[in-house]
Amino acid sequence: MDPIQRAIQRADPRLSKFDPLPRILFFDNFNDGMSGWNVLMGNYTESLDRRLPEYKLMTAPMLSNVTHWDGGTHGALDGSYAMKIATRPIRLAQTVALKRLTFPKACPIQLECYFTFKPEASELKLSELDVRSIGFIFDVQDQTHRVLPQIRYLNAMDGKPAHRWQYKDKCVPFSDMGEKTVSVFHYGEEYWEDIPGGEQRLCYNEIPTKINWHYLKLGWDLRTMRYTTLQCNDHVFDIAHLGGIEIKAMPNLWNLLNVILSVGTDLDKRAFAYFDSILLSGDWE
Amino acid sequence: MMIREAYTTVIAQAETWKGDVATEPYEAAWAGEAVFFLRVFKKGKGSLRGARVRVQISPDGMHWADEGSALRIPADQDEVTFCRVTNFGHYLRLAATLPKGAECQVLATLSLKA
Repeated sequence: MDPIQRAIQRADPRLSKFDPLPRILFFDNFNDGMSGWNVLMGNYTESLDRRLPEYKLMTAPMLSNVTHWDGGTHGALDGSYAMKIATRPIRLAQTVALKRLTFPKACPIQLECYFTFKPEASELKLSELDVRSIGFIFDVQDQTHRVLPQIRYLNAMDGKPAHRWQYKDKCVPFSDMGEKTVSVFHYGEEYWEDIPGGEQRLCYNEIPTKINWHYLKLGWDLRTMRYTTLQCNDHVFDIAHLGGIEIKAMPNLWNLLNVILSVGTDLDKRAFAYFDSILLSGDWE
Repeated sequence: MMIREAYTTVIAQAETWKGDVATEPYEAAWAGEAVFFLRVFKKGKGSLRGARVRVQISPDGMHWADEGSALRIPADQDEVTFCRVTNFGHYLRLAATLPKGAECQVLATLSLKA
């Protein structure tokens, strides 16, 4: 990014907290609507019943002003509203929200956002180990491969603190959904590996109804199909040697670029993740 | 011209209702009006005579009150029923009570507008 462009970006209070690549594909602060983020429908043919069971648990994102029973409206980071995703109150249930694009040119891309997560405040106790994970995922395809770079912050597992970043580069087999359609639930608990040096303690605060925003940056290079960067607040992780889930290119997904955010619960209680704002940038001419 | 924000979410995607059920809480503080739509995908067991589907509102997504509006479960698969609500505060959901032994598979949609 040249100095003039950087100075203009830094002078904009909405963008100054980000570190984008030269071109911004989207910037969503959720004060003007959902901006194309939507629920993940599991693949099916003939009947919605054919969806894989994990996808049947998915719920739609919401515009939230982060209101709690005890303190009222908390508000978002930028303006009143953030995007909220919520699991059902079922142990290990997950929900994702995603935005669907195609990439105009194979180039480095970068997701940045401010996020926070909390369990539903249904108990008058700290509850800091109730949210299992929050995930950041790309789903991309070039002329030969579909690749799913998949990162998560594992907050807790089976009631015990985990507090570390993980990746996965393998997934369970695809299932036949009939006709020409297949499906796979690649968000499951299988095949997660710790990112070397990936330990990090985030700011949970002192009761379930106080939230603090965290910065995240995840970079991926569509030319090499490898990570470029992972940063959360002041922690920068070396993940350039890691890959994503890689499978043979699929019909009808050419130049796919989906950006996906997930949250999972560790017990029979709703887990919430909030995002404000979200910025996707790229570096191409 | 400022276009009015609108968002439609499917709050029950081919879910089977029986006994006492409720959809997941949906935050709608930004919206001034809402319409619930209801379709039946599959008629299940038993008679739906006496089934009640109520709109509920909540300040926190955990404590719910009947808003006063109600929907009828459609009699056949081509029919859609609906109800309109305003001044609902923050959270919305549908709560249904089906007669003992009855069940059906539904698609419930919530259309919100600022």
